[in-house]
Amino acid sequence: MGKIGDLFYIKGNKKFKRSKKWEGELNKCIRCGYCYELCPLFKTNNWESDTPRGKLLLIYGMINGEIEPSQEIVDKIFQCFYCKNCSDNCSAGVPVTEILTDARADLIEQGFEVLGTLVTIDEDLCSVCGICVPLCKYEALSIEPDGKDKEKIVVDKVECRGCGLCVSACPSGAITQKEGCEITLPELHKKVEELIKEHGKKLVVFACNWSMFPGMQLSESPILVKTEYGIIVSMCSGRVAPELILKAFEGGAWGVMVAGCPPEECDHDGNYKTRRRLVLLKNILKELNINPKRVKLEWISTGESAKLQNEINGFSKEIEKMGPINKIEVSKEIGG
Amino acid sequence: MKIDIEKLKKIVGSENVSDDIADLYVYASDASVHHALPSAIVRPKTIEHVQKIMRYANKNKIPIVPRGAGSGTSGHTVPIDGGIILDMKRMNKIIDIVPTDMLVRVQPGVVDDDLNRALKPLGLFYPPAPASSRIATIGGEIAANASGVRSVKYGATRDYVYGMKVVLANGDLVNMGANTRVHSSGYQLERLIVGSEGTLGVVVEATMGIRPIPKYRCLAVANFDKLEDAGNTISDIISSGCEPSMLELMDKIGIVAVNKAMDLGLKEVGAIILFEADGNVKDAVDFEIEKMKKICKKHNGTDIKKSYDLAERTKLFSGRKKLFAALSRYKEGIICTDLADDMGVPNSKIAEAAAKIHEIAKKNNVIMAVYGHCGSGVIHTKIMLDPKKKSQWKDAENVIEELYDYIHSVGGVTSAEHGIGLSKAPPWKKARPDLIPVMRKVKKALDPNNILNPHKIMDAPDDWVGATNLRYKVG
Repeated sequence: MGKIGDLFYIKGNKKFKRSKKWEGELNKCIRCGYCYELCPLFKTNNWESDTPRGKLLLIYGMINGEIEPSQEIVDKIFQCFYCKNCSDNCSAGVPVTEILTDARADLIEQGFEVLGTLVTIDEDLCSVCGICVPLCKYEALSIEPDGKDKEKIVVDKVECRGCGLCVSACPSGAITQKEGCEITLPELHKKVEELIKEHGKKLVVFACNWSMFPGMQLSESPILVKTEYGIIVSMCSGRVAPELILKAFEGGAWGVMVAGCPPEECDHDGNYKTRRRLVLLKNILKELNINPKRVKLEWISTGESAKLQNEINGFSKEIEKMGPINKIEVSKEIGG
Repeated sequence: MKIDIEKLKKIVGSENVSDDIADLYVYASDASVHHALPSAIVRPKTIEHVQKIMRYANKNKIPIVPRGAGSGTSGHTVPIDGGIILDMKRMNKIIDIVPTDMLVRVQPGVVDDDLNRALKPLGLFYPPAPASSRIATIGGEIAANASGVRSVKYGATRDYVYGMKVVLANGDLVNMGANTRVHSSGYQLERLIVGSEGTLGVVVEATMGIRPIPKYRCLAVANFDKLEDAGNTISDIISSGCEPSMLELMDKIGIVAVNKAMDLGLKEVGAIILFEADGNVKDAVDFEIEKMKKICKKHNGTDIKKSYDLAERTKLFSGRKKLFAALSRYKEGIICTDLADDMGVPNSKIAEAAAKIHEIAKKNNVIMAVYGHCGSGVIHTKIMLDPKKKSQWKDAENVIEELYDYIHSVGGVTSAEHGIGLSKAPPWKKARPDLIPVMRKVKKALDPNNILNPHKIMDAPDDWVGATNLRYKVG
């Protein structure tokens, strides 16, 4: 038997002036772990260090000097979409994301390279058109001087929530996010392809993390996969770029549904962009001889999973009636 | 401790092994007060993975601590000797649902609520229902013999285990039990694994019984000015032959805490009782509820409400469901620790035990809420204290000693549904010295090198405060 309690803690001496004040709140966290259930990152990565409880533990360890901040720890702390499912549902009332924000600010001040779920700008591709700047509800993007006579877009790494609205809106494709959290455009493209090609889904449903609280957490069930539809959870309906919908049709989908939060309920105001974008997309679909009724937008509030299920079921039936995409369906059905 | 990380990576893939401090520090704790660093985290996906890891660990005498959701309250998965944490959450397949045989076959990482979501469309359910069912894995529930709100009628995990596949310390795979609800074919080894807290083998598949969802469920709530009256009501309900499918108690401390944390606006009376009846005949359900209502009234129960409606029932139960975490909000400066959290007492002693808990807490300068599945004899408490004061941890030690001396003196048990782990080992060892040598022999027979979750239950240290680092900063 080894010496019990003989740990190899490193006594750190880094400054955590903002996060230190949360020590009392971190003690209030009873570490029950119920926040796992609600964390989209945990569902993607399945490591406990990606859960809200895990992040709070790491912050607690750092502010008390039990662990020295490392790049790996910093990467974990900067992986969060601020969906706030954890803090909104914590029965101990621990303000998880507020604590996380202060820890992020402290770590940036210590000079760490931070990436996580934040967006980055490729300055070679960026034309500084500024479209992204007013899109961000959290004012995380700004146009700043870049030497003499030049400007650039700057990301506020504390404020960026990683929703990715700017990524889908950038006309130059200059804004990106790190792969690995199933949120980048290539990853979403791959998911669409998998649903249609590998799982034979006819209907692709894009649901935002707030509208769609996925039924199953982590377990795999042979019974529940026998549906005609497949669900892709994105961080915001505004994240669903039109090209993803076109990709689904190109792959052979019979229909696409986008579920977003109702107007004025979206944390990022992404739903307004979705609404406008889908109007324009439907016009393009007519040009492509695809019945625009194959795309459906629904507003689903948090906790309305039953409504979402009903809408999916109803739309599945409509799609079933329409059948696979027929080249002349627009002119036949709506006279386009 | 030298662990061949490359070898482990070859077994499960490099993305499923970590010896990074970001992971080690997180996997060092669960929902208990303990904290001790492992040397590596490994996430197997198949039975063969588990066998290979066990063979390697056994040969090199490396501790292995199997882990589900890490929601245990007594430090079961805290690796006090370091070693490998075997994170079982990737083995998460519901392999088969067989309604004709009323059983399911699952991998250990399947989440309890997920299993019930899959069963619901078939009109079936898996009954034990611990409060942590949203994250708790079936493997973890087996390891702790978990039970919950419906155990008063439906029993604990052990009542649903028909059979299981277990990888032993030497890597051998053993198929225990049967596919039937009963069997009398040799030692009931599957029952031995239930409640063994990962010390005897690694469960890699389980065959569990399921039940049909009853057509009607009616939940009722009654207020009591005195905790004693509420306790006596529970004892009376059980001894008078009622068949509640749930019978829960919540004292004033609990009520105040959930009001503060969740703004529920519950009347802050001495205690609340929640009682439920279920069945396929509404008149029969009504009969049970009315019978229990009468007993409540006999013991001065007031404001009795009942409902069959799911939304209303969920609302009535919401305070109890989240009480555990809400206790942290009872008072500024104090926090809720998972200590002395799940003793079991004989039915006739509910009121007496509840009063005794408050008396011992007051004497030792801590606060303790009394709640739980009292219908099945489970009393939950938590010790609420100021974690920064060293003296408060001494207070907690005194509470535990006094409280368990009392619980054992009236024929109660140390742990009813959470397990012994580290924090409950000292009082349990004090109460059951007769069991310790027998359990050590069983352990030695199955795990001669003592690699499976070593130094837990009968081998746990006598000093729970010093056994590991406390997760709180003291002083």
